[in-house]
Amino acid sequence: MKILQNTGEPIYLQISRQLKEEILTGKLEQGEYLPSIRSLAKDLKISVITTMKAYEQLEAEGLVTGVQGKGFYVNAQDSQMLKEQHLRKVEQSLEEAIAAARIAGMTGQELTEMLKTLLRYEEEI
Amino acid sequence: MEFTSVIDGANICKKFKNFTLDIPEFRIPKGFATALVGENGAGKTTLMNILAGVRLDYQGKLEYFDEREQNVEKVKERIGYTAPGLYFMPQWSIRQVEEICGLLFDRFDREKFRDICGKLNIGDGDGKKTVAKLSDGNRMKLMLASVLARETDCLLLDEPASPLDPLMRDGLCQMIREYLESGDGERSVFFSTHNVSDMENVTDYCMILERGRIVEQGFVEELKEKYLLVKGEHCDAEAAKQVLYSFSGSSYGFEGICLAKDLDRLAGMDVKVETATLSQICVAVMKAYTGLQLTA
Repeated sequence: MKILQNTGEPIYLQISRQLKEEILTGKLEQGEYLPSIRSLAKDLKISVITTMKAYEQLEAEGLVTGVQGKGFYVNAQDSQMLKEQHLRKVEQSLEEAIAAARIAGMTGQELTEMLKTLLRYEEEI
Repeated sequence: MEFTSVIDGANICKKFKNFTLDIPEFRIPKGFATALVGENGAGKTTLMNILAGVRLDYQGKLEYFDEREQNVEKVKERIGYTAPGLYFMPQWSIRQVEEICGLLFDRFDREKFRDICGKLNIGDGDGKKTVAKLSDGNRMKLMLASVLARETDCLLLDEPASPLDPLMRDGLCQMIREYLESGDGERSVFFSTHNVSDMENVTDYCMILERGRIVEQGFVEELKEKYLLVKGEHCDAEAAKQVLYSFSGSSYGFEGICLAKDLDRLAGMDVKVETATLSQICVAVMKAYTGLQLTA
């Protein structure tokens, strides 16, 4: 895991994002316990409260469950939720593309054409 | 955020001629590292001395650990305390320091003490060097070693970072993290410091002391949500000044700390919002309260 100090992204979000990726890609398996908050804090050289907040973030997103006195384990990831996560990512990327198209002065028509062309290429390969 | 406390205080009060330490409610969270920050003369060392049982002439009630123990003499065995000044006799050798600590405390591990002294490069390894011949930084390391070699449940460190070099400050942070980890939520650390930025990555809870009162406290992540760093253009400076908690402007623009609840009032201005560092928050809060006193 990499923690960057000067990107503007809060450290707890960097941790939760990277752990989330590991969970969604299956690197961290269902039922597996995450490292304890104090040992992760020690290893990453950050404060305990920051790691705690990262874990709470993951818990709020339903990816892990906290057990009093035992730590946090990875929840079973149902396919519906995985799909939902991916859909959100697609949506975000498209929004970015739209914003870039605005700056470049492209019309909606041109943008959809471009998407269609790219899709065609994809299928041909 | 809810927490259980390792030290609980009620109505702690100590009056001096021109200064009063007055803390109606005082709680140090268990299992975390808590920083005590404040101006020179704010009362940090007085508070530290009261907690460590060095100073007994105060009013109020203190309770320690889960047992709610009130007798400070009884909890001293479970607390590791270091003072900002030297408290070993200058003519003692490192070996003598080891022997005396062994006599004073039941759970002092001499093996561990030598091990830490070796790791931190204190003296020449044979322990013959006297305390008088050590540098300030090495004296602090020696005091830390004597405390870490004991089995304790809570550390009270008064200005541990000040005499240390940057490398050793990093080492100190790591020692605190290892201490917290080894206790798995049962061990706590309370330290006072002026080096907020050096210690930020080990601070979980922060208390800001001004003129003998705690003016702000909370978990660092919560403080960072409450106080935001705002930067904007010069043309908005006057309007923003009315809203911001702390303000500094130049002919190019302004920046300051804004309370999150007031952020709406900056609507319409061309501002950028950033997460503030703990040190920026501390400075803003300290400025706000010093200012109050000066105008009064």
